Amino acid sequence: MTKRIFRSIFFVAAVVLIAGFALIMGTLYRYFDNQLHKELQNEAEYLSTAVEQLGVTVLKELGPSQERVTLIDQDGTVLFDNLADQSSMDNHSGREEIQAAMANGSGSAVRYSKTLSERTLYYALRLENGQVLRVSSTQYTILSLIGSMIYPVLLIFILLIVLSGIFASRASKKIVKPINELDLEHPMDDEKVYDEIAPLLSKIGHQSRTIQRQIAGAKHQQEEFALITENMQEGLLVIDKNTILLSWNGSALKLLDAAGIRENQSVLVLNRSEQFQNVVTEALNGHHASTVLNIQNRYCQVAANPVIWDKDPEGAVLLLIDVTETTERECLRREFTANVSHELKTPLTSISGFAEIMKDGMVKKEDIQKFASKIFEEAQRLIVLVEDIIKISQLDEGRHPYEYQDIDLYTMSGEILDRLKSSAEKNNIQLKLEGVHAVIHSAPVILDEIIYNLCDNAVKYNHPHGKVIVTVFQDKTQTSVQVADTGIGIPSSDQERIFERFYRVDKSHSKEIGGTGLGLSIVKHGAAYLGAEINCESTLGQGSIFTLIWKNN
Amino acid sequence: MRTQFDKQLQTLHIELIRMGSLCEQVISLCANMLLKKENLSADINAAETEINQKERDIENLCLKLLLQQQPVAKDLRIISAALKMISDLERIGDQAADIAELAPYLADCDAPGKVHIGDMARATVGMVTRSIDAFVKSDVKMAAEVMAEDDEVDQLFEKIKLELMDLIRQNGLDAKAAMDLLMAAKYFERIGDHAVNVAEWVEYSVTGVHKNDANF
Repeated sequence: MTKRIFRSIFFVAAVVLIAGFALIMGTLYRYFDNQLHKELQNEAEYLSTAVEQLGVTVLKELGPSQERVTLIDQDGTVLFDNLADQSSMDNHSGREEIQAAMANGSGSAVRYSKTLSERTLYYALRLENGQVLRVSSTQYTILSLIGSMIYPVLLIFILLIVLSGIFASRASKKIVKPINELDLEHPMDDEKVYDEIAPLLSKIGHQSRTIQRQIAGAKHQQEEFALITENMQEGLLVIDKNTILLSWNGSALKLLDAAGIRENQSVLVLNRSEQFQNVVTEALNGHHASTVLNIQNRYCQVAANPVIWDKDPEGAVLLLIDVTETTERECLRREFTANVSHELKTPLTSISGFAEIMKDGMVKKEDIQKFASKIFEEAQRLIVLVEDIIKISQLDEGRHPYEYQDIDLYTMSGEILDRLKSSAEKNNIQLKLEGVHAVIHSAPVILDEIIYNLCDNAVKYNHPHGKVIVTVFQDKTQTSVQVADTGIGIPSSDQERIFERFYRVDKSHSKEIGGTGLGLSIVKHGAAYLGAEINCESTLGQGSIFTLIWKNN
Repeated sequence: MRTQFDKQLQTLHIELIRMGSLCEQVISLCANMLLKKENLSADINAAETEINQKERDIENLCLKLLLQQQPVAKDLRIISAALKMISDLERIGDQAADIAELAPYLADCDAPGKVHIGDMARATVGMVTRSIDAFVKSDVKMAAEVMAEDDEVDQLFEKIKLELMDLIRQNGLDAKAAMDLLMAAKYFERIGDHAVNVAEWVEYSVTGVHKNDANF
């Protein structure tokens, strides 16, 4: 714009300069022409008066002068010429100015000399004696005049052009300056700006406000979206068709064990395992895909869905879910099923074996009772096992409507210890109950089962002449039942696993000791069902302490 | 123009990640084949062919970028580092395939259990994984760790050599199996060196300084 304004101003200045120069030259030339003409006339009149009074001799005494003075006779013969030899000159009677003078008393003519680019002005005056006096003066033509003045004129011309250039540049800059300094954010605030562009500025201002509003709206929406996704437990990744991440949340980074990510990076930076790549490729090909990744001992399910735009997949949305617990539980359940089948099969095999021998009549009559009692024992074991499994699955499901009532833990523990008295006496184990009468609102069936199992274990896994001490405790913050024994204890490596179903520390002696391997599992599930905590402290060879704790909120 | 260039650089990055991932796969496959005696030759060969194809693709992409975009400064460093890196990655793939070729000869002897080749395989797999990780995350610190780890692998190689010598002396091992094991160990050692090279190029592409040359 500056350039254009500069060029226009400069062009105008140059045109004005040239035109002015031409006009002045033309006017001046004309003025000089008239002036010269008048001079010639004056001189001719003056000379004619002199010649008439004093004769031709006056002319001869004139001496050299710029003007050419010629005296011509009535017949056209040149009588005198101050610049040329009159005898060599031809007859002048045919000349325009002479003829006019002869006829009218005076005459003038202009003739151009081709070679010299000169023009000669003639003025002729008829004397009283009929002779004609002609005065002529040579004048340069306008072109030669310009030619002779070319250097100074050019100098002036260039000077003026340079000056006009400088002014044009300054002027154009000054014109453009307020436009350049426009604050486009707030175009209407500027009062210095031209009125001509005010409508434009008001339009810009309006549009910029609209854009700002839209950007703010979009940003708000994006923040809202980010806030929602950031608080999601599931990981969310949005990628474009080149696998570049468009959006992600913190959970996704955490699940993929990635420290951080920059803008415009590929999702493969987060995980480049073959499974993950396949899922991404599949989704970007327009199909749903899913896999489970194993990252740092955790399992993460990745579900990828294509984003279809105009029939072509334009990207994909990846949802990541932590399935560690589910996978582990699945694993446990599988283990449990295998264990249950095994545990159920062992007594059944015995029963079937004994029955088969009896069926085949290979058993003596007196032995039948022995065999029958074996079958009965195994059947009893089966029943206990199945009962335990039923209990545990009921607790697992948590659907059984157990009745809640106020229970005195001290009384209940006493009853349980009474039931265990006979088996304790077999091994000379001393049972002891300590503490206070603590009342708690709970389900008696489950609570009985829990305390019974703990006490039963304390008796079973005890040394002969050992002790089992049950302590009931209650204060403002908590209520607890502690079952301590002086038994064989649990190795620290096994302590974590004792609550698992069918887990036995000493697998080789399980049959002698009896039990199903589900006791502590029932304790754990029962405690969880009742909202209590179960803790275990144990030293190998010295005994174990199991504590059931209810926290008072 | 610049957006187009950025897109191509992104594609280069993604392709390199894919190639790196293939290398990780192929080397852990060959370690499994050697140590767990699983027959994975078909998988390894397929992956190796894919690695070779990727090398050519990435090379073409790099040359196209160099010729059409005439990159400067960091972009140029990234592309030239990529060109160097793919040849190292390709060598890793080749050498893993070489180990896979040796594995069947070692399948019916218990020699691999007697020497530290398992540790070596694990260390090398770790190095390759970390060098690729360093590239993916442009992590100079991790690249430096990979360079430091190479000494460990070199020491393991020396250890295996001595162990094999002892075993041969005590006639505890068939000499042929010993040779094959030594070769396998050497291949692992070379793979470790290539992982270091990759790590050095990662460092160069980020910092502009290459370890082996102060004149860059």
